[in-house]
Formats: sequence, structure tokens, C-alpha cells
Amino acid sequence: MQKVKNGPDSAALAVQPEPSKARKTWRRLRENHPFLVMVFPAVLAVFLFNYLPIYGVLIAFQDFMPGDPILGKYTNWIGFNNFTRFFTDVQFWPLMKNTFLLCIIGFVIGFPLPIIISLMLNAMKGKRMSKTLQTIFNGPHFISLVVLVGMLNLFFGRYGLVNNIAASLGAERVSYSLEASAFRPMYILSSNWQDFGWSAIIYIAALSNVDPGQHEAAILDGASRFQRVIHVDLPAIMPMISVMLIMSIGGLMGVGYEKALLMQTDGNLEVSELIATYVYKQGLTGVPDQGYATAIGLFNSVINVVLLIIANTTSKKFSENSLW
Amino acid sequence: MASLTLKDIKKVYPNTESSPKKKKKKQQAEEPGKEKANLQITDEGVVAVQQFSLDIADREFIVLVGPSGCGKSTTLRMIAGLEEISSGQLYIGDRLVNDVAPKDRDIAMVFQSYALYPHMTVYDNMAFSLKLKKMKKDEIDKKVREAAEILDITQYLDRKPKALSGGQRQRVAIGRAIVRSPQVLLMDEPLSNLDAKLRNQMRAEIIKLRQKINTTFIYVTHDQTEAMTLGDRIVIMKDGFIQQIGTPQEVFNHPINLFVAGFIGTPQMNFFNDCKLVEKDGKYTVEVLGSSVELSPAQQKALKAKGQRSCSIVLGVRPVHMTLDDGGFTGKIEVSEMMGSELHLHMTVNGSDVVAIIPTVGIDLEAHSIGKTVRFSFKPELMHIFDTATGMNLL
Repeated sequence: MQKVKNGPDSAALAVQPEPSKARKTWRRLRENHPFLVMVFPAVLAVFLFNYLPIYGVLIAFQDFMPGDPILGKYTNWIGFNNFTRFFTDVQFWPLMKNTFLLCIIGFVIGFPLPIIISLMLNAMKGKRMSKTLQTIFNGPHFISLVVLVGMLNLFFGRYGLVNNIAASLGAERVSYSLEASAFRPMYILSSNWQDFGWSAIIYIAALSNVDPGQHEAAILDGASRFQRVIHVDLPAIMPMISVMLIMSIGGLMGVGYEKALLMQTDGNLEVSELIATYVYKQGLTGVPDQGYATAIGLFNSVINVVLLIIANTTSKKFSENSLW
Repeated sequence: MASLTLKDIKKVYPNTESSPKKKKKKQQAEEPGKEKANLQITDEGVVAVQQFSLDIADREFIVLVGPSGCGKSTTLRMIAGLEEISSGQLYIGDRLVNDVAPKDRDIAMVFQSYALYPHMTVYDNMAFSLKLKKMKKDEIDKKVREAAEILDITQYLDRKPKALSGGQRQRVAIGRAIVRSPQVLLMDEPLSNLDAKLRNQMRAEIIKLRQKINTTFIYVTHDQTEAMTLGDRIVIMKDGFIQQIGTPQEVFNHPINLFVAGFIGTPQMNFFNDCKLVEKDGKYTVEVLGSSVELSPAQQKALKAKGQRSCSIVLGVRPVHMTLDDGGFTGKIEVSEMMGSELHLHMTVNGSDVVAIIPTVGIDLEAHSIGKTVRFSFKPELMHIFDTATGMNLL
């Protein structure tokens, strides 16, 4: 069979030298330099504030005193002593239990709530009403933690609204802030109240991309409003739910210390002492033991990373969605 | 299968804006430059469809055709029950269905965007409506496989929509509709997302499908070729009004007005403005491009029956009805398009653009190239005469 030659002479092509790797990289950099310039501040910020501080975790393996250099001639390396100290600490299991329970209950209630709310708002006929409700639901997110805890004290204090109502009905007044049994419900419900609207935004955005034709097709197929939510809306936001689920599980044990500390009283200390509050107290109050506090924080972060990997691997195995 | 009757159907989208916005919109509507050409904004709202009356026979294939915004999709959606009917009556069979829920109308619809459920397999997509009806599993399976067989998609039943090509997706969308054996099958521009080749192929498939399933089809398109090839009757719409209802041949040969004449046929009909219909001693002639053309006996008779007087007219001649000969008109070729079996000549005649389609058999292509001058004529019996004032066909 005769070969048809349309292009330049193949021998001439063969003598063309292949550009070197460095040359190719340089050409790519030159072509994309406006984008690289644009992304540079973000990369710098992430490096400075997210990666550079990782250097500080070295103190978890040191007998560190505030003012000591992290790496120096007289650095006292103690290996995993800070970790073993924490594992054998009498506080270890109560801290783990408190943190785990608070996070798990918060997650079980808090994760589906924005999904349900977004599906409900999306299914509402009156779009104006839906938008108004969405705005109202977002409001609490902007209340500062201090104000929120102040509100909790006002409403649930001994002479607060709840007790006043209860007293008017003949019940005894209870100081909820001193009750250990009231800490978790108050913490979790107030957190969810504050953030369910805000967390729903991402799902509402995902729902806005659903092809209206699918709803119309489902209407013609005979699906009820609820069936449309189940068969059209929910599958449409499933990839987003998967990603959010992985991220939530990854941050499950990463509860902050601020709110727990603000709500902490002698009465509820047995349940309100979390890993985060313990780290704060060990590292920044009294005689600070920052090496020990860092070790506890690092341990907590390792748990989160392990959870994230497990969640991502599981999601990858059972669905088409994963973070990596 | 069922007949359909649409009686004086009207659709108005009421004004819902708060008063300052409404005022602004009204002001904008009053400015001629800002008004949307094909939307009628009245005090009650935006009128999308009005005075729509049509009887559709059992198993008939009706095509609603018209430019974007003419109200064809709105009409289809009113039939489907996806839009409320503002006024008028819609009967499917003998049943008034104005207030009947879409699922109870016994209709199915194929959407332009396919509207397949992306998380379901082809099988589940097709079986969904039957499952909602709580049909038995083996019955569902039988129906789905039958429909898949008809559409030749059996091998794709386990796939998800994203793993299918555009044409295959459209087949699934049709399958999902026919699996329910609906009385009426509605199709809303089902081929417009496909490329030209696939569109032609699917058009043929729809014609075949029609032979296989006994149902009434209502098909919406803006493509007049689809309308001409698929429809038993075509409903041509503009600005929410029906312009003409007729078989493809009727609307092609006897367009009721200038709009229909220009809309149906590719390339579109040539229009010669500033012509005159002259009635003298009971004889009608047309003065066009400085020549006088005597009308055919049939045309004479038709005009006489109407008692038509001399008036200013727009003369319409289809490109296929123009012949190159030693006739009385001269045109300069601006563009010559070789289409294989025919040549499309775009000419200027006295400042007007005129297109002629001529067969290429035995033709000297050099003599019909750009810049050449040709002489042409057209037969009087193939001319269309429109009143300049009303735009209506006088014949």
C-alpha cells in the first residue's frame, strides 16, 4: 500500500531536537505567568499560616519552656514522653469521652439538619417566602460566641425566660448552666441553631443547579412533592453531601475550645472539659506546659487525619465521590 | 390514544412584581425599543398564548412550529398540565382536563433537555413512572424491555445516562415516555440538542416509531424541516396566535400570510415589494419589476370570486419555482452555492435579494458564477399574492 505524504518531510522532522525538560517548564511558566502571579498571594498565605506553624509541633517532643528556641543547642528532646503522659493521665478517658460524645451527637443532629432545611426551602412553592426564611436562618450565624453564650445564660439562667415559664407552670427553678446533664443539649442545640442556615447555603446552591425538566418529568411520571425531593433533589446534591460528610468526619474531633470554655462552670466541668479546653488550660493558663499541650493537640489532629482518610476511602469505595 | 380539543386557550403570566418594579417594567414596555418583539404585555400580565383553538384527531401527528417565544412550548406545557390554562377548555377525549393533575391526564412528554434522572440506570429511568403506579415487577420488566426493543436500547439498560451519547439519551427519553402507553405523547423540541446528522437520523426514527405505537403525537419545534417531514398537520404560531393550520403541502403551497410564506420553505420565499395587482375589465395582472404578468385562470377566478380590486401587493415566489430562461427579469449573481444536485443562486434584482434554486444537470457552472448576469422568470400559477396592508394571501 502506498503511503500518502501530506505533511513536511519526515526526515526533516526527525532532525528537530526534542526540547529539554527545563526548556519545556520555562515555556509553561512563561505562558502561564499571569495566573501564577494571581495565585501567588494565596499560596504565600497558606504557606505562612498553615504550613510554617507545623514547625511548632516539634515542641510536642521536647521538654519545652516558653522562651526556649524550638531548635537549638540546649533543646531537651524527650521523644514520646508527652504523649505517654497524656495517655496515662487520669483525665485522658474523660476527655476522650466528653469530646467524642459532644462531637458525635453534634454531628448526628447537625449534619442532616441543613440538608433537610435546604430540601424544604427548595421545595417551597413561594420563592419569596423561601428566600425570606433563608435570610432569617442565616442570621444567627453572625452572632458572636460570647453573645450566644450570654443569650443562653439569659434564657436558661435561674431567673431566665425558660425558668420563668417553668415556674409559672409550677415547676422548680433549675440553674441549667450548673447542670452537667444540660451542657451537651445546650451546646449542641445552640450550635445547630446558629449554623444550620449557614450550612444549608451550599446545598441550596447545589439544588439551584437541578434541571427543572427533571422535576417536570417526575410530575408527569406521577411523583408527589415528597417523591420528587427523594428521587430528584436528594440525588442531585448527593455528591455535595458526600464531600461535606467526608470533611465533617475529618473535623469530627476538632471541636473548638471557645464555646465550651465560655459555657464551662464548676457544675458542668465533668462533661464540659474537652480535649480542646484541656489543651488551652495546659498550654496557656497557670504554669504553661506547652510541650504537653502541643502533644495533646497533635494527637487530636492525628485522630482527625485518620478519620478523614477512613471516610474518604469508604466514600470512594461505595460511591463515586471522594476528596482525592 | 385519544383525540384532543383545545378551545380558545389563553395563557397569561400575571404581573407578580411589587409596584415600583411593575411601574418600571411598564415604563420599559412603553418604550418601543425596549419592548420584547414577541411578547404582549397587558394590564393582566404577559400574554403568551391566545385564541388557540384546535381539534386533534386520534393518532394524529400535530406539529406546533414557530419562532422562539411564539407560545408553542407554552401551549404544549398547558396540554401537559405543567402550566395552568388562564382561560379556555382543554379536552383529552371527552374529558375536560383543565384542572386535572398532569399524572392523571394519561400523557407523556419528551423534553428538549432529555430530563433523565442521572442517578438512575436507563432501566430505572424507564421504569420509574410504572413503579410509582405500583405496577407489578414482572409487568414493569415486560413493558420496559418492549419499549427498549422498539427503540433499540436494550443493550444500554444497565447504563447510566452520562454513559450514553446524545442520540441514545434521546431514545431513552422517548422510551421513558412510551413505556406508559400514554394516550397523548408530547415532544418539546426533542431533537434540538442533537447535531445535524443525528437529528436527521432521529427524525426518521420518530417516523418509524409512529408506525409502531398507536398514540396521538403533539410535537413542538422551531425547525420547519422537522415540521414538514413529521406532521400530519402543522400549526404555525407567531406572537401567541395561530397563523395557519394545515397539512405540510397546504402550508407550503397556500401560505395564509406573509409570515407563514416566509417561515415555511428553505431557502425562504422571495418577496417582491412595491408590486401592484391591477384589475382591468375583469382581468387581473401583476406589475412586478417593471413588467406586467397576467395571472392564471385559476387565480383570476379566485380573485374575481372575492371581488378583489386593484391594490398594492407583495409578490411571493419560492426559489424552487424560479426558472432560468430568457424571461423578462434580470439578476446579478452575488453568491452561487453548489449543493450537489442543485445550485442556489443569490441574486440582486433591482436592489432586492432574490434566491433561485436550479438543478445542476447539464448546467454550465461558469455561466452561473459570481458576478454573472442571468435572466429568469416564474410561472404565474406559482406566484403568491399578499396584500401589502394586511399581509394576507389574496388567493
